[in-house]
Amino acid sequence: MYQALFVDTWPWWVGGILIGLLVPGFYYFQNTALGVSTGYGNLVKIISRSKLPWLQGEKFADAWGWRVFFIGGMVLGAFVAGRLKGGTFLTREMSLFTEVLNWPFLGSALYFFSGGLFLGLGARLAGGCTSGHSIHGLANLHKSSIIVTIVFLIFGAIAAAFLRVFLLGGGAP
Amino acid sequence: MSRKLFFLASGFYFGFVLSRVGASNYQVIFRMFTAEDLHLAWVILSAIIVANLGMRYLKMKGNLGRGGKPIAIKEKKLGRLSIIGAAIFGIGWGMAGACPGTVLAQIGEGKILALFTFSGMLFGTYLYGYLLARWPKIN
Repeated sequence: MYQALFVDTWPWWVGGILIGLLVPGFYYFQNTALGVSTGYGNLVKIISRSKLPWLQGEKFADAWGWRVFFIGGMVLGAFVAGRLKGGTFLTREMSLFTEVLNWPFLGSALYFFSGGLFLGLGARLAGGCTSGHSIHGLANLHKSSIIVTIVFLIFGAIAAAFLRVFLLGGGAP
Repeated sequence: MSRKLFFLASGFYFGFVLSRVGASNYQVIFRMFTAEDLHLAWVILSAIIVANLGMRYLKMKGNLGRGGKPIAIKEKKLGRLSIIGAAIFGIGWGMAGACPGTVLAQIGEGKILALFTFSGMLFGTYLYGYLLARWPKIN
């Protein structure tokens, strides 16, 4: 029982049902759309005390708004999940990436920083991320979210194909 | 329950589920994009279907939230550079093996490299605000 709940990866449908419920749950209880990436704007405002006009808008009027609590909760939830699963806490591993590539830590750090930069800039230009567009938007059959999600997936597949060929070896690892 | 406490608790729930279903595992995401392992694609697809059914149910009940307050569903509008932004985001998703939500789960699990993905995201978000201040047309 413990093994199935806290150690083994859950079947996809368990995760799908539990994640999907967040969308109507957010609307029912808080009249709010599910979304994560906008909260990074809150974090930037808090950390940098930036005077950028974009961060002075209505959306970020309360820098310590609900999005910061949502983000903090996500880190905590995964922390508890990780501790219940066991294993060392701080680790430099990133599964396949660090198993196959023997890069110096700084190289990997720079690589993931660049990936993050694309995620941050791209999410703001696109108006949302996987949760806001691909789950919330698609569930509500919003045309903009359908278009954006298709582009997400195409370019994610292109990036992964590039990695597969040039970094991680052509064949199955 | 106060609004912030609600979101702290639902964030905890979301992070826990993402971690348990393997969404915070680099190779699960990588292999979704190379179509070697569709576990995560099924997670996302079933989440969309469940969310859609839930929204239909709310609509059937008159689109009223708790306490009888009307629910307002907003469609995200596309900006001039939204498609390009989506392409940039897709490349980041495939590269980092994480999205803005799952990177938080990776951090919670103690993956040090995820802190760099996270810092990059903060920087990218700042960069957007900076570019927007110079060229308001990018929105």
